[in-house]
Amino acid sequence: MVKNIVVLGGNSHPELVERICASLGLSPCNRILTKFSGGETRCEVQDSVRGKDVYIIQTGAGKVNDVLMDLLIMISALKTGSARRVTAVLPLFPYSRQPDVPYKKAGAPMSRVGPDSSVPPTPGPGIARSAGLDNGTDMSGLMSKASLGEGVNGSPVKKSAPNGINGSLSRPGTSGPGSPLTRTFTTHNYENPGLVSTFQAKPGYKQWVAQAGTLVADLLTCAGADHIITLDLHDSQYQGFFDVPVDNLYAKGLLQRYITLNIPNYKDAVIVSPDAGGAKRASAIADALGLSFSLIHKERRPTKITDRQSASMILVGDVSDRVCILIDDLIDTGNTIVRAAKLLKKEGATQVYALVTHGVLSGDAPDRIRNSCIDKLVTTNSVPQDENRAQLGQKLDVLDISQVIAEAIRRSHHGESLSALFAYN
Amino acid sequence: MSSGMANEIKLLSGSSHPELSQKVANRLGIEIARTTSLNYSNQETSVTIGESVRDEDVYILQSTAPGDVNDGLMELLIMIHACKTASARRITAVIPCYPYARQDKKDKSRAPISARLIANMLQTAGANHIITMDLHASQIQGFFNVPCDNLYAEPSVLRWIRENMNVEDCVIVSPDAGGAKRATSIADRLNASFALIHKERPRPNVVGRMVLIGEVRDKVAILVDDMSDTCGTLAKAAALLQANQAREIIAIATHGILSGNAIDTVNNSCLSQLVVTNTVPLGDKLERCPKMKVIDVSGTLAEAIRRTHNGESVSYLFTHVPDWD
Repeated sequence: MVKNIVVLGGNSHPELVERICASLGLSPCNRILTKFSGGETRCEVQDSVRGKDVYIIQTGAGKVNDVLMDLLIMISALKTGSARRVTAVLPLFPYSRQPDVPYKKAGAPMSRVGPDSSVPPTPGPGIARSAGLDNGTDMSGLMSKASLGEGVNGSPVKKSAPNGINGSLSRPGTSGPGSPLTRTFTTHNYENPGLVSTFQAKPGYKQWVAQAGTLVADLLTCAGADHIITLDLHDSQYQGFFDVPVDNLYAKGLLQRYITLNIPNYKDAVIVSPDAGGAKRASAIADALGLSFSLIHKERRPTKITDRQSASMILVGDVSDRVCILIDDLIDTGNTIVRAAKLLKKEGATQVYALVTHGVLSGDAPDRIRNSCIDKLVTTNSVPQDENRAQLGQKLDVLDISQVIAEAIRRSHHGESLSALFAYN
Repeated sequence: MSSGMANEIKLLSGSSHPELSQKVANRLGIEIARTTSLNYSNQETSVTIGESVRDEDVYILQSTAPGDVNDGLMELLIMIHACKTASARRITAVIPCYPYARQDKKDKSRAPISARLIANMLQTAGANHIITMDLHASQIQGFFNVPCDNLYAEPSVLRWIRENMNVEDCVIVSPDAGGAKRATSIADRLNASFALIHKERPRPNVVGRMVLIGEVRDKVAILVDDMSDTCGTLAKAAALLQANQAREIIAIATHGILSGNAIDTVNNSCLSQLVVTNTVPLGDKLERCPKMKVIDVSGTLAEAIRRTHNGESVSYLFTHVPDWD
């Protein structure tokens, strides 16, 4: 039982709030957190917080903008309610992954059209092992790269050039680059993402996507947060956006324990990072467990003129006849990790585990995972996993992160060092 | 207006009310800047900027679409922030209907003053100037450390009443004590009589007992308010006015948020007309509610933008409807 501490839960993950409170031996603060009929957030904190050390638990899942606004309003309410210190606990930090290219509401388009990655290619004699996964063989990957290319190639002259890839598939949502539409408009049309791909920048101007990272950090401090606790930030540098202390916890310990306890013969397994950005995270686990490490590299250099917008994946390292453990911080649409798993199987991996801290699985990601060559997806409950569990069944293992967060809250409240939580070994 | 010159008006439109943005742009004779926004599959908002705003005078128009208030707000903040990082000379947020305006005081323990939070957030994102219309409480202007111009729909409303009603027949009625000032101002300008309804409000979005103060018998009662949300108040006020033998009852509200069952409530009420402005997108509500009339305020917003850009006074707009036509 911890005294003088108040834990206030948002709407995003009630189960996690319950678990954290149970672990701390207290009951969550009574509050009303709903919406007025006009859509504005209504927040009333019903227990006194005067002079208390308050922790608000809200994760960036579901309707992220509502979640964020709820959090900001709660922080502000606590501050005006004379709380001594307000700590925002954000297991999944909203807007932390800042993609620099627009992508579609339903995840990557074309995921169910064309040859799916559901059938792992059988490696055999005569097939060049180190060929990598060429984009031309994977329609879903290709289409997502094609739409990705729009952002990369800002010049409308290039975009209006006839593109055989898009033409042959002729899907309204992705037929944009070839479309001659040049009208000026602003759209927010979720139902018709085709409008978005007809969006064109002014000639001579390279369009860019606004990065909300610093903004979200500034908003939290502006609302009055004194301290931020989060888990496996996509970019560690994000901590520098804040003027208040940020404690970035790691799920690494949990993932390592899972590997040692649940993967048979894990000593022979290979830790694989699905992209260069996550290499550090993955190699840290490989080092801690003494496992070998390999990396998937996204080759973005054009090989042919029609391949301009596509990228192929190349595996660095040897995985043949071994169990592969893919490590990443976040799985959202699941494209990267599914393609990585496919490449690993192609390169002769016997089994592919994917260990990911945040299992967002938005859009049709659960379908994509179910049909992929990933044998087991392991994630933490930093975002609600009930729906994913219902859809993926045995293919999904969920680790409980509440202990780590509860311990961080306890230590932070008592003014003890948190570094024991950072270094698990 | 020539393009390519620095420090022009750049009008960016949020996604909540493109029609209003287009009307304002037409009035100003400019094109809406090329931006687009969409939600990622994880429901984060993404804003793409398709033209340079460097050293320009940027105006970002975003209203509050009922239901998606938080989405619209985040989009606006991201757009402001994007323009700031893209070296805009000045960023003005044009917010016809200020969100969270009703949460403007700590009316009970630990209640959030969300209107102030929004003001702080807009400034944190990088807004240098705010243009809004008919703030629920004009004190909200004091939440800002940057200039905040609160425009009035009153001139447009007055013009509508003069053009559509027989002023001698009218009584201006305020549905609550808070709106008395707004209603008396209109009554004075029209030289019409005035009545007030006193109400008790036990919980938000719920209406309690009502008492009419003033005389409405055989008159056309015009209920005046700054916003009509669920319309529960308006319907009850209208019933009360009818019980007091008003000949006809119409309601005029600046912000037609009309959430929940508002349209049914209005259709089943004894209101003969509901007049709102187009500060808030109405969607299909016009078709669903034959009683509804719309006053266009894009002229006032456009003129405020033009005057702000040119460094002219906007106070003329507090009493006059700009003559664009």
